[in-house]
Amino acid sequence: MGPLVPQEIIGMNWNLLIAFVVGIGFGFVLEQAGFSSSRKLAGMFYGYDTVVLKVFFTGAITAMLGLLFFSLFGWIDLSLVYVNPTFLGSTIVGGIIMGAGFILGGFCPGTSVCAAAIGKIDAMVFIGGIFLGVFFFAESYPMIEDFYMSGSLGSLKVHEVFGISGGFFTLLVIIAALIMFKLGELAEKRWPREEY
Amino acid sequence: MTIKNVIFLGLIFLGVVIAMVPENTTKPYKLTAEQMLVEVQGAAEMVSTDEVAQWIISKDPSLQLIDVRNPDEFQKYHLEGAVNIPLSVILNDEYRDILDQGVKMNVLYSNGTLNSHQAWMILRQLGFRNNYVLQGGLNYWFDTIMNPQAPSIYSPDEEFAKYDFRKAASGALGGGGSAVVTAPAQGTAEKPKIVRTQKKKAPAGGC
Amino acid sequence: MKTKYMNPYLAGVLLGLVLLMAFFFSGRGLGASGAVKSVVVTAVDIVAPEHTANSHFYSKYVGEGKEPMKAWLVFEMMGVLVGGFLSGALSGRLNWKIEHFPGITAKRRLIFAAAGGILFGFGSQLGRGCTSGSALTGMAVLSVAGFISMMAIFGTAFALAYFLRKNWI
Repeated sequence: MGPLVPQEIIGMNWNLLIAFVVGIGFGFVLEQAGFSSSRKLAGMFYGYDTVVLKVFFTGAITAMLGLLFFSLFGWIDLSLVYVNPTFLGSTIVGGIIMGAGFILGGFCPGTSVCAAAIGKIDAMVFIGGIFLGVFFFAESYPMIEDFYMSGSLGSLKVHEVFGISGGFFTLLVIIAALIMFKLGELAEKRWPREEY
Repeated sequence: MTIKNVIFLGLIFLGVVIAMVPENTTKPYKLTAEQMLVEVQGAAEMVSTDEVAQWIISKDPSLQLIDVRNPDEFQKYHLEGAVNIPLSVILNDEYRDILDQGVKMNVLYSNGTLNSHQAWMILRQLGFRNNYVLQGGLNYWFDTIMNPQAPSIYSPDEEFAKYDFRKAASGALGGGGSAVVTAPAQGTAEKPKIVRTQKKKAPAGGC
Repeated sequence: MKTKYMNPYLAGVLLGLVLLMAFFFSGRGLGASGAVKSVVVTAVDIVAPEHTANSHFYSKYVGEGKEPMKAWLVFEMMGVLVGGFLSGALSGRLNWKIEHFPGITAKRRLIFAAAGGILFGFGSQLGRGCTSGSALTGMAVLSVAGFISMMAIFGTAFALAYFLRKNWI
């Protein structure tokens, strides 16, 4: 039956309303988790607070499991779910630039909007930076278009690369995540910070 | 038990379950048996050889002929502009864009109508639209278009009009007929309406 | 004042359910920087329509029948503003402030925030999605791009953490 909009079970007109409702849930959860604080987010990289790791991986795993079970029960047609295409070069370099932006600015785009919503001025400045960054990209696009398009692997899935089932790969991710959670908690004990 | 432990145990349990069950790779059928029966009885999926001949001659850009026979047969003979998608591989993802779309009218054909109909049934049950079957298949195509038989002199006028058209079409398509194509005798063949569907993939995801 | 945040694992499960809801209804995941792109494209189109028509980049999003502001991500991000505000209001965290490590000045914090934003904006376009759009959503659908993005983002941030430690600890 799902996904409902691409299958025209509910009309396209509802899609933007759904987006808005999903956004409310997204913003609410991020804020409740503490992602509206850059010092909490940056704690990930200094070991004093690994909430990013915990929320991010638990969220990804929950959605992975949800999609696989929904597909198993015939509730969702995974071939109609968007899978972001892999372009090796631009994905890696883009990720590296984003990583640098993360440690400099202490936010990522989603969390900065969430933080701006509760009045964080540093987050608003960060968002201003994103606008500039996107604008720079748009203006320099003619120069980097070739690189942007290089190394295309299509909508490739990880378990297909390794030749194992999606379910088994998910189990491996869960085990890896639980080990990382444990390490994160050890790090929080090792480099504790009281007030931030 | 703390929230954390409940979540951890839940994730491990679900992870083990999903790792052990086989993946659901079946393509879900979108139509129920009852809906399918109605469609089959309606026979609205058939297009006649005359109609197809006319679309080919007029180079109708929305026509897409699909040959569901095996590649050998396709090599030997196929209709002008046809693509070969053998019945055995019709579910391959590479053909999905051709078979599941909202801009063209696909006409499936095989030698008779058995294989083309089998293909059509599968595609229809997957919810794909705009697929049709060439009535009578290639055999009937040869009988009617390539080697049209003159009707007996007692036949009604329409039969003669049809024959004239077929003879002309046959000439244009390289069959045994002759003469230039005149305007089709029975007016413009009514074309099945193409159901315009939105591209089914989410248009653009990501950031 | 010590603010009380939700249990991170519970928050993670809820985040996963929100993401799953997006997949189930719209067939797509979450995102953030795409909304910024819509705004930038629209703004440039208003200021310099000829420029956008001639550019390979802008012409993908503006022109006949294209409405960049009626994009899924734009509405989603408006929702994030509302959701974040509601959560902050419920938990008593609404206040204007420049949050920074006490060892640095607010001005320094803002300069670094702007620089980080610029890099993130640029990188998110090059990498076809930010932390939420590419990494989180991509991982949920088991895409290679999702896992590569995640490792590149977090790996780089870890690698550079030592050099920027004065800003944070």
